[in-house]
Amino acid sequence: MAPTTISDEALMLEFQGGSREAFEQLFARYRGPLYGYFRRRLNGDQRAEDLTQDTFLAVIRAVDRYEPRALFRTYLYSIGMNLLAAERRKQHRDSPPVTPAPEPATHGAPDAALWVRQALEKLDESEREILMLREYEQLSYAEIAELLKLPVNTVRSRLFRSRMALRGYLEPARKLHDAAGQSEAPEGVKLAGAEGEAI
Amino acid sequence: MNKITHPIEPEELMAYLDGELPADRATATAAHLGECTECQSLISDLRGVSEALGSWKVVTPELQIPQAIAAARSESKPEPTRNGGTKALTWREILGVRWQNAEWIGVVAVVLLVVVGTVRFIGGNANNVFSQVQPSISETNSSANRDQMAVRASQEVRPPATSAEGKPPVNFGASQRDKSVVAREAVVNGPMIIRTAQLSLITKEFDQARTALEVALKRHRGYVGDLKIGGATGSGRTLNATLRVPADQLDATLSELKALGRVESESQSGQDVTSQYVDLQARLANARNTEQRLTDLLRNRTGKLSDVLEVEQEVDRVRGEIEQMEAERKNMSNQVSYATLNATITEDYKAQLQVVPPSTSTRLSNAAVEGYKSMVDGLVSVALFLLENGPSLLLWIAILFLPARLVWKKARRSFAQ
Repeated sequence: MAPTTISDEALMLEFQGGSREAFEQLFARYRGPLYGYFRRRLNGDQRAEDLTQDTFLAVIRAVDRYEPRALFRTYLYSIGMNLLAAERRKQHRDSPPVTPAPEPATHGAPDAALWVRQALEKLDESEREILMLREYEQLSYAEIAELLKLPVNTVRSRLFRSRMALRGYLEPARKLHDAAGQSEAPEGVKLAGAEGEAI
Repeated sequence: MNKITHPIEPEELMAYLDGELPADRATATAAHLGECTECQSLISDLRGVSEALGSWKVVTPELQIPQAIAAARSESKPEPTRNGGTKALTWREILGVRWQNAEWIGVVAVVLLVVVGTVRFIGGNANNVFSQVQPSISETNSSANRDQMAVRASQEVRPPATSAEGKPPVNFGASQRDKSVVAREAVVNGPMIIRTAQLSLITKEFDQARTALEVALKRHRGYVGDLKIGGATGSGRTLNATLRVPADQLDATLSELKALGRVESESQSGQDVTSQYVDLQARLANARNTEQRLTDLLRNRTGKLSDVLEVEQEVDRVRGEIEQMEAERKNMSNQVSYATLNATITEDYKAQLQVVPPSTSTRLSNAAVEGYKSMVDGLVSVALFLLENGPSLLLWIAILFLPARLVWKKARRSFAQ
């Protein structure tokens, strides 16, 4: 028999009823994905940590008002999205922009995914967001549609467009990366890598 | 790509890869992919993009659950923070012992699952293992195999975001998860073809042909679905029959029937319903699973009366669907196992020349009747004309009478002078 997994919504309702264990389970499920969500969109891992924590605290504070009308996951990312938008507004107001943290966001070689990030940067903003929500947050089309307030068909067509565009961008970027890997990576590429650790 | 050579849109291919296609389209897409290298190449490209994106990994720091959560839960007002928003706590200060234990329990649970799954897999129950273990893997977000994206996406528990009434969604996501698994499990032995034949014969011996038809039908274990015999005087009789014979006996039956007369026309057709049948089986199995889960839910859980009623309504709805699909499945099976043969047998009628003319008295009486009829018809026609045009004629006469009279008088006077 497979173990029965309690749904996020049921856990949230249990948490509403006062169960701390329920929240701990939700936290365990979503701390990594949520941190990844912020980290890939912001420079600096400290802000990503803070915003992850802020998101969970927002969930805690709004727990009494929570109604399971939508998936908890969509609910959580919608809070995250609002916090991210506020953070970006704040960064935009404060000039010069926040200096990026020296630690790279990638795992393994520092510029292992540099070419991927550079290719993503070339995409249209809304298409990029849809693609990232699908690929990294692994949301379904319907969830993305609900989160971004778009029709599902629009999500699907934009996702297709972005993947096709990315296919075109990635091929030369991959070749460049491979060439840089064979000989020593040029200085310019390394600098770009430090700046392009988040989109 | 065009619709003629590629019945599947490129976006649908992508949705197939993401596990976002409905079962029927997914079946059609899988079939098309098996034979289209261009679409296979597109799928490969899409996979390549996903794999490339997967290379951007983020290392999650040692995030710990806030100790202050219990306090925050009981607080009514948010604490002021350095950003003017909620207070950012350090992860270290909120480390809870319980979370460390939970991590260990999670690791042990995954190990147990893998062990149990392996044992059952060796025991030959591979499909069950996948259907049970896979969801738990996806739910813990530990699945990183991009090649299994489609399988993962379809198996992941994703209940509908919002019910139409805005009620709490009942977790029916498992039915979505099971659908693709069941669809793959649904095995049909060979293609399922609904065979239909049409045969039109002309025979001189109509009665013998009819008897021979019934005998042949009996011999091949068939039955008459519908049979009509008719024919006007002065023409041959016609037999129209819809016969049902076992599909494997159709050819033999046709051969026998063709010997009953001269074949005027013959046609055969076959409709492949394999994919529809597989899809139907999958939907049926899913509906049964859903019914079982709902029944278990009713039996094991307690809750508000409104929730219970809602679940009961859902059970009724699912049962209705099951019965409907069951009937559809039986009908389809019946159509496949019994071929339909539409037979038409026409009698080769020889018209007789009428040599005896009618008698004189009959001809006189007929002429009298015809004369009377034409007289009545004439009177009726006049009456109808007067009724239709009389009022307007009277009106014109009334209008033109005085001027005509004056003209007439003047003319007569001048003529007299």
